[in-house]
Amino acid sequence: MPSASLVFQSVVLGVLLGGLYALLAAGLTLYFGVMRVVMIAHSAFLILAAYLAWYAHRETGVDPLLTLFVTVPLFFAAGVAMQRLLLTRLRPATLTMMSVLLTFSVALVIEGLLGYVFSGTQRRIRLDYSSAGFEFLGARIAAVKLIAFGMAALALLGLYALMKHSRFGQALRATIQHREAAQLLGIDTDRVAGYGFGLGLATAAVGGTALALDTTIYPSLHWHWIGPLMAIIVVGGLGSVPGAAIAAMTLGMLQSLLQLELSTTWAQTVFYVALFATLAFRPQGFFGGRLAQRF
Amino acid sequence: MPRDSEAPLPAGEASLPASEVSLRAGGTQLRAGETPFWAGRLPRLGILLAVVAVVLSFPSMAPSPYEITVGIAILNYAVLSTSWNFVGGFTGYISLGHGGFAGLGAYGTGLLVTKTELPPFAALFTAAVLVAAVAVPVGYAALRVRGASFVIVSIALVLILLLVFQSWSSFTGGSRGLVVPRPFPGMLRAEHHRTFYFLFAALLAAALLVWWIIDRSRFGMGLKAIREDEDKAQSLGTPTYTYKLVVFVVSAAFTSLAGGLYALWFGDLDPVFQFSILSGAYMVLMALLGGVRHLYGPVLGAVIVGYALEYSKVEFGDTPLHLVVAGLLLGVVVMFMPDGVIPAATALLDRFRKTGETSIREVTAAELRERRGQRNGTEEVRDSERSGSGSGTGTGSQT
Repeated sequence: MPSASLVFQSVVLGVLLGGLYALLAAGLTLYFGVMRVVMIAHSAFLILAAYLAWYAHRETGVDPLLTLFVTVPLFFAAGVAMQRLLLTRLRPATLTMMSVLLTFSVALVIEGLLGYVFSGTQRRIRLDYSSAGFEFLGARIAAVKLIAFGMAALALLGLYALMKHSRFGQALRATIQHREAAQLLGIDTDRVAGYGFGLGLATAAVGGTALALDTTIYPSLHWHWIGPLMAIIVVGGLGSVPGAAIAAMTLGMLQSLLQLELSTTWAQTVFYVALFATLAFRPQGFFGGRLAQRF
Repeated sequence: MPRDSEAPLPAGEASLPASEVSLRAGGTQLRAGETPFWAGRLPRLGILLAVVAVVLSFPSMAPSPYEITVGIAILNYAVLSTSWNFVGGFTGYISLGHGGFAGLGAYGTGLLVTKTELPPFAALFTAAVLVAAVAVPVGYAALRVRGASFVIVSIALVLILLLVFQSWSSFTGGSRGLVVPRPFPGMLRAEHHRTFYFLFAALLAAALLVWWIIDRSRFGMGLKAIREDEDKAQSLGTPTYTYKLVVFVVSAAFTSLAGGLYALWFGDLDPVFQFSILSGAYMVLMALLGGVRHLYGPVLGAVIVGYALEYSKVEFGDTPLHLVVAGLLLGVVVMFMPDGVIPAATALLDRFRKTGETSIREVTAAELRERRGQRNGTEEVRDSERSGSGSGTGTGSQT
């Protein structure tokens, strides 16, 4: 039995990791909400953002956090373009299946290009505050992990505020809830859906920069992220942002706690166990509403 | 929905008289007794025989054993994508995780041969039975959900298997790989390749035969009904869940046989290649490219993609660019010809021959909906209103 302080340390690390999972799962939920699309390429864009942060840091020495000012607008535009140019052109009858394949192919292209341009070598950003950290009730927390969590939390809060308190957010939520009704109210749902997609991809930009701070990155890393993220949104109930956040926190913490007893790879299976258990016993997910029933 | 109406205009108005004409023409022909009913099939049978002859004589014509290995790789792809097509083609459920079943079949065969010393081909079939048994609970969980969640589960299956087979190195050999002894120890290399070429060809023939039988059966009808509109199929009394599960297990068993045969042929397994999402994606790409509704669609796709893969391996070596090529190809197929090259080519041919319409056609639910919307006349209007509201709920459940 591990000591209490070790368990506490794991809980803290789990919360910090869960924050990042929650932000990324929120992005996936957004895509699903506006388009009924499962975006396999989400984590590929995550790794792309991490690579951009690493590259900018290596070439110019700027702090990786500053790359956010470039990557967030860039990814937003890429998301809008992807929705308008690719996904809306698929046949509505087979949209769900075909969009999975289309985003899968985007993920393959990104992975292949990253491998071609930056080679398959593992990369890591070295910062002067990389090794900094502090003690908190007996648990040691690395500063970079806290920064990453802070970014994820800020982005999530910003997203929440935007969705709840702006006119655009209202239009977006109306589009998600009932597209035809939103159209009747004069909302340009096509444009709003495009922006919603862009917002989702912007979460990948924030998440990727946070990831680059304290993780070793390589082109095929995105497969290790997409599985857990997919599991989170299914467990949380497709289309439910709070559900995704709760599932992200719970599973992130479980993974972190299991790492005490098992190896890292075995601990990762917790996501898949949760996924299969959810589908076997409660296919609509634990927090999903009406939307999740049919998926 | 605006995109729906932009889809190619249906030929409903023109096709109805045309089909009547062809029906009447067929009737007179039969009465005259000039051409027997199987006459239309003769050219098809001839083409089939010619293709079989080419496939079977390929090893003796190939200039070097390398060409035979390329042939084996393509046949392996063809078996895999045909096996995938049991689920993807009949039910429309797209699985990206069939690479996992192939890997399980390969490792199952390899482990049975090395650990229990079963004879190789007994191990091959035992592994297929075991994989089919594994596919039951997997299908039980995965098929309870539709569309997106199903794909997620299929991806998760591969990722979880990769984790397990890499971590459990005491049993599976882990990242060091697993060496499978050759089934015919005394055989020379060239003879070994030649034998496996025919074994793969036989497996392909078996898979195609089973697909063909299901295609013409009541069971296959039910599966296709699921593909077109699962809710309606269910309300008409099709046991959709059982049907889906059965065909999923059949598909997994064939995929496992292909993987196991590969293990016996190649003799060296690595979890990274056996449990790769990419191999599942190749199956989808080949089947979609060829056309999932056609018996030979996946085979055709496997020939095109398999040849391109082998060619690029020789030309460009092992750069990550093959991922880019596969991704772009998949994207192009999904965007521009989701029905595959066979329907695209036949549509092109029909445009020249103008004889495409027959009295009985297979149409998709979407086409039917559009065609009904186009018809006029009092009864049809009421009908289209009804189907309009019906299709409203139909799309509601799909989107």
